[in-house]
Amino acid sequence: MSFERDTLGRQPRNRLTPAAAAFPSRGLQAYRAVAGLTILAVLAAAPLLSSGYILQLATDILTFVALAYSWNLISGFTGYVSFGQVTFFGMGAYATAVMVLHTPIPWYLAIPIAVLLAAMAALLLGAVMLRLRGIMFALGMLGLARILAVVAANWSFAGGAVGLTLPAQLTPNAVYAGAWAAALIAFGLNAFYMRSGLGLSAMGVRDDEGAAQALGVATGRVKILTFVLSALAPAAVGGLVAWNRSFIDPTSAFDPNMDLQLVVFTLFGGIGTLWGPLLGTLVLMLVGEQLWAYVPELQLALYGGLVIVVVLAFPGGMVGLANRFGWLLRRPIFAPRSFPAAIVPPPAPPSRPPDDTILEVRDLSVHFRGIVALDALSFDVRRGESVSILGANGAGKTTLFNAVTGFVVPSEGSILYQDRPVGGLAPFQRARQGIARTFQIPRLMESMTVWENVLLAAQHGRLSRRALEQTAWALHITGLAPMWLESIARLTPGQQRRLELARALALAPTLVLLDEVMAGMTRDEQEEIRGVLRRLPEFGVAAVAGIEHVISAIADISDRMIVLDHGKKIAEGAPAAVLRDPVVIQSYLGEVR
Amino acid sequence: MLVLQILINGLLLGGMYILLAQGLNLVFGVMGVVNLAHGAIITVAGLFTFWFATHTQLNPLVLLPVVFVAMLAIGALLQRSLLEPLAGVGRKSELLSLMITFGLSYVLVEIGLDVFGSQYVSLPNLQTTWSLGGLTINEALVAAGVLGAAISGALQIWLQHTDSGKCLLATSQNRIGAVACGIDVSRMRCIAFAIGSSLAAAAGVLIIMVIPLAAQTADSLTILAFVVVALGGLGDYRGAVLAAFVLGIAQSAVGYYGGGDAESVVPYLLFILFMILRPQGLGRAAQAQ
Repeated sequence: MSFERDTLGRQPRNRLTPAAAAFPSRGLQAYRAVAGLTILAVLAAAPLLSSGYILQLATDILTFVALAYSWNLISGFTGYVSFGQVTFFGMGAYATAVMVLHTPIPWYLAIPIAVLLAAMAALLLGAVMLRLRGIMFALGMLGLARILAVVAANWSFAGGAVGLTLPAQLTPNAVYAGAWAAALIAFGLNAFYMRSGLGLSAMGVRDDEGAAQALGVATGRVKILTFVLSALAPAAVGGLVAWNRSFIDPTSAFDPNMDLQLVVFTLFGGIGTLWGPLLGTLVLMLVGEQLWAYVPELQLALYGGLVIVVVLAFPGGMVGLANRFGWLLRRPIFAPRSFPAAIVPPPAPPSRPPDDTILEVRDLSVHFRGIVALDALSFDVRRGESVSILGANGAGKTTLFNAVTGFVVPSEGSILYQDRPVGGLAPFQRARQGIARTFQIPRLMESMTVWENVLLAAQHGRLSRRALEQTAWALHITGLAPMWLESIARLTPGQQRRLELARALALAPTLVLLDEVMAGMTRDEQEEIRGVLRRLPEFGVAAVAGIEHVISAIADISDRMIVLDHGKKIAEGAPAAVLRDPVVIQSYLGEVR
Repeated sequence: MLVLQILINGLLLGGMYILLAQGLNLVFGVMGVVNLAHGAIITVAGLFTFWFATHTQLNPLVLLPVVFVAMLAIGALLQRSLLEPLAGVGRKSELLSLMITFGLSYVLVEIGLDVFGSQYVSLPNLQTTWSLGGLTINEALVAAGVLGAAISGALQIWLQHTDSGKCLLATSQNRIGAVACGIDVSRMRCIAFAIGSSLAAAAGVLIIMVIPLAAQTADSLTILAFVVVALGGLGDYRGAVLAAFVLGIAQSAVGYYGGGDAESVVPYLLFILFMILRPQGLGRAAQAQ
């Protein structure tokens, strides 16, 4: 889910980049930092000097800013919308209260410990809950909050349904300072996250989780890590609020309405953006504060209505509106100021015996509930070879690629890659080991630029200088360099396929599986791709297997052809021989009479 | 005898749950949207029934057809104004629609709170209990369970054996295929949401006779319905029927031994456990074997 396609269409202004970071004018940055800190300090100090009411309002706003940023991490970036972040708020509140009441730990130590406990809980819960997809996760989290509320209500140690009363030592100034800390940390986390490799991977998960796996993104790890990060501030805020109110009970600690507020604030400001949660929370809480005095009973209905209005009328929120005027644009992750002039090709692979086997498929069968997609298929792809796989629609070609890349679990048989079985490996692990693929219908990350799409594959889990060079090289080689900062929506179908190929090459693969990479291309584009395919050995690609319907485009660049029909291999050999084989002709053209 | 008692109560509860869940299932099947306002519709309809029945002294079952028809119109209106603009496929549309129904649920709940208050209410009609050789059977539960299962069954017959119903069913099975057959998919979405809302409202009329409702229970009813649908496998009717009975029996057993609090957690626990162990749902699992 992305609400910021608008951000990326225009020429983005990328000010902070790794290349740029090396030579900025230090003086200007220092001046900006001092100015920013001064403004923050004045803002922070003002409520301290005013009435208790203002101080409480400021504390409330800050706590919600922290909460909204945390919700934004998991829901805005990974796209796993949570309706139960209150879970961690409640955990933090209860852990803090219990520690303060039952141990000599003072509250200012209890809260960090509670945060740590919540992080560990998030790690365990995330491993379980994030296996649920989309709506299942959203509702699973809602259910989790309910379960914990019931547990708290029935656990006498935690005060049961009555709740816990903390020793009344209201320290509004300290709580205010704590809220500032939580809000700043949550904001900082967001800022850092959305410019990091982790953030890039998370956006990949949000746009297309399966394609992200194929590009070597450890989606499970990315989701769980983000989930843990999104639990920190809620736990801290929970502890602060428990201390501030000096009372908690299951209803207030696990209040489902809190998640409504987080959804409203973040959506209104702009989900998945850096400034959205702050803007949304500030505006709605300040306006709300005035409004609730007149219509106290309508608060939730108005928030609910606002969610509807925002989604229907301006799904990008305030930041989305600002984007239309060129303000608050997201910067493409790790994009240099201009496309790198020096193209560094991938390092030459270590030389190997010329005819060792790269891919070995043995008696591979795939059944889908009684339908046999692949039937005891065996073949090899040796180093230096380019193998084309032909067959009519439904012959099992794509299923074969899905089995090799780990998207489909074979019913029988084995797949060996460089003499090691890959059966137990997740798709992202196979991708990282050098099995790259393209998709028949391009599965590009629609909220990202061309550059980021390729960088996602090049980064292999962490960002390095080599990843940036690899990205630039892959874009250069596929002729996409001129549109490197375009959004996906602006590419022609042919360019989209070239981007698929660029992403596959960015993985620095040993084996490349191309699923109809030339379909929908003009003659010129096909010729360009054929040029790239011929040069693959130079780039360290040891072998290629391609599915293609445009036979004329591949006949002269294939060493071998394999023809499938109803999941079985019906022919194999040199292109000229295979294309004359009567069995093959019959399979393609039907019964010859 | 105790086992039999739990079983009978569980089955009757399950009959009601089928109706509770079917609207959600239909909407999901045709629109690909999980209607988070489902529970709010149930609750508001239930509270309206309570208000109407206590003021007019009429049998609440008289209201059933009236509420059903009224909700058809309201549901169609809601679908046209709020959900149709987002119609599409893919994750983005799914999550945006989810947000819309999430917002809608709060609007409806708040209206329910303002109009009907926050106290739990239940209709005193049909409170006779029958004793049958040691078994005690509550008349209201029988009425709700049997009627719920009957309405749901009738709808399923309509879906499977009439042309108009088949159009809807076809849309839920394959949207593109339905378009290719000349079915107006946009109209189907509207019909599905209208019927889904009506089924929710009908469930509300029945539930208020058995379980006390208040505006704030809306969420837990949504979850309950969703659990039944998810356990059965999204879009799978037979799976949902099976899941409704399983959930009814589980709740009735846990409620007997563990009390009300434990009973209220059963749907959530079952849901999370089941999603992890068997994400394809009960129905599909049974088919595969």
